[in-house]
Amino acid sequence: MADAGSSAPPVVEFHDVTVAYSGRPVLWNVDLTITEPCLFGIIGPNGAGKSTLLKSGLGLVPLVHGTARFWGRPLADVRRRVGYVPQRETVDWDFPVSVMDVVLMGTYGRLGWFRRPGSRERSLARECLDRVGLIDVADRQIGRLSGGQQQRVFLARALAQEADIYFLDEPMAGVDARSQEQIFGVLAGLRSEGRLVVVVHHDLRTAATWFDRVALIDMRLVATGPTAEVLTPDNLRRTYAGQVDLLQEIGQAVAARSRTT
Amino acid sequence: MNPVLDGWSIDGATAMHAWAIATAATVAAACALVGTLLVVRRMSLLGDALGHAVLPGIAVAVLAGGRPGSPFVFAAAVATGLLTVWLTRLVRSAGSLSDDAGTGVVFTTLFALGVVIVTAAASRVDLDPSCMLYGILELVPFDTVSIGDLEVPRGFISAAVVLGTLTTAAIATWKLQVFTAFDADAARAAGVPVAAVTGGLLAATALATVAGFEVVGAVLVVAMLVVPAAAAELLVRRLHHMVLVAVALAVVGTCLGYLAAWRWNASAAGMIAVVLGLEYVAAVVLAADDGLVARGLGRLRYAWRVLCEDRLAAVWRAEEKGTAATAPVSLVQRLAVGWLRLTGRFVGRAGGLALSSAGRREAEMVVRSHRLWEAWLGQHAQLPLDHLHPPAEWVEHHLGAAMRQRIEAEVGAAGDPHGSDIPPEA
Repeated sequence: MADAGSSAPPVVEFHDVTVAYSGRPVLWNVDLTITEPCLFGIIGPNGAGKSTLLKSGLGLVPLVHGTARFWGRPLADVRRRVGYVPQRETVDWDFPVSVMDVVLMGTYGRLGWFRRPGSRERSLARECLDRVGLIDVADRQIGRLSGGQQQRVFLARALAQEADIYFLDEPMAGVDARSQEQIFGVLAGLRSEGRLVVVVHHDLRTAATWFDRVALIDMRLVATGPTAEVLTPDNLRRTYAGQVDLLQEIGQAVAARSRTT
Repeated sequence: MNPVLDGWSIDGATAMHAWAIATAATVAAACALVGTLLVVRRMSLLGDALGHAVLPGIAVAVLAGGRPGSPFVFAAAVATGLLTVWLTRLVRSAGSLSDDAGTGVVFTTLFALGVVIVTAAASRVDLDPSCMLYGILELVPFDTVSIGDLEVPRGFISAAVVLGTLTTAAIATWKLQVFTAFDADAARAAGVPVAAVTGGLLAATALATVAGFEVVGAVLVVAMLVVPAAAAELLVRRLHHMVLVAVALAVVGTCLGYLAAWRWNASAAGMIAVVLGLEYVAAVVLAADDGLVARGLGRLRYAWRVLCEDRLAAVWRAEEKGTAATAPVSLVQRLAVGWLRLTGRFVGRAGGLALSSAGRREAEMVVRSHRLWEAWLGQHAQLPLDHLHPPAEWVEHHLGAAMRQRIEAEVGAAGDPHGSDIPPEA
């Protein structure tokens, strides 16, 4: 699976990952290996299980079977080196915290239970805010930001974690063009620092230009590899008009059976 | 309950009241501390559930020989609270119920069980069902232990221990509580033990609820948990400010409520909850940004600015056309003209009203905004001419210099679609 001749374990390896929500499989037997740092896109239609794949890697959804490993090790060993940017709609933006407070959260994993963020964490957080162009709104309540700004706050929080792998769930959804460019600039910067950036993305046009490598997902892995080789008409047809109806029906049948037995 | 209150005031035993107030305020502070996190996590009803569901635990502990208010009964109540949380999850996943329905099923069932036990055993043990509902604040000062020379009520000691424990725990784990409350998934991904953090909050809720239960009863403890925190959420925008404001509101409300109950010879617990409710109403009215007063004032200020700008622009347009401006008709328009003359933007008397240089600049900017927006809409939204005026009439009051510059750049040399000149930027 790893490139021939390389002895180092792959950065990320999903091996035979199957995920089910309350007994209904939504992702079937995914094998996905990312051997080296790059900008990696996970592409597919709505409900394809893109976010689920990301979450399965982060231990946020239980695996029915399969494993996800980082540098050949389980997540628990390397958790702090894996950063996560959830979808923007998953949180309540009226929550009474400032932009700075949210970015500081990125340092909490490192600080453990009882230590408080100090001056080192604060200056790191300011650096991250500067990097995403939000240093001027550091003290603002997060609800007073635009959608694009909110997304960049999430990105800054992940940056503050100083991780080596970043998982981002739809960072470009509902974001204005200027924020998109800015976010992409930051992600490209992370890649040039030798970090792996995995992005769940739904827009095919931008995917073709942004990502070095992609995986096409539709409840199962359709294809993966260098972007130009994967985004072929044939693969896209198989992703966007493929065998999903059958997979969904089988999933429902499995769920119905597991409920009655 | 109230004969006791009367008795005190006749005796003038102010120390008794002071102890009761101190106990209630301590409990209220503990509840407000926990309640802040419950409110921002949208879990307020959990306090309600726990307040009711601990009843069978207390009843069973008393039947087993525990004395009401003793550490044993206290521990039994907290244990029942945690059992409730666990049962709620079980019922929810077993019956695939929604969150609130699961909570509703469990806490009513447990509370009913408690009522059954208490009433069936009422003849054998010293448990008064109405004390369970309304609390026994007025009796707290009579059950004391000696510490040195001081007779300290047991209820105060347990409240102080609870408040101390919760404050210490909150200070130690605050950042994890906040991270989990705001974004549990990201917290878990970052290695925060989310289940333990949430479990800690639930245990803290059980502790605070049981402390409150003894003082104000099962029903009104919910007020202490939820109301000060909800009011604080309206008043400030940062969580650590919110918790301080909530605690302050809880303590002040409790003291005022107790004193009012004393004055009017009413139930102290009831009066405390009423005062907390009034504090919430005050917060709704007075909140700095979104309060009724602030919003009302904001609307008034805006309406007045529109009125003044419209007057200025009307005179400017009349000058441009070489006709006399339409005279102000309504009373408010005349008031606006008076104000504009007073502030030096109009000169001359009504009839021969003219713009001062300051007034002219202002009027030109309103007209400039208006015509730029008409031009932009005409070009970029392809609206027919008769659709342009109403939106421009609205937008003209909202454009700053920078925005006007950007619109002008997009409109280019085309100019006003009705053929008038667009005044230059001042």
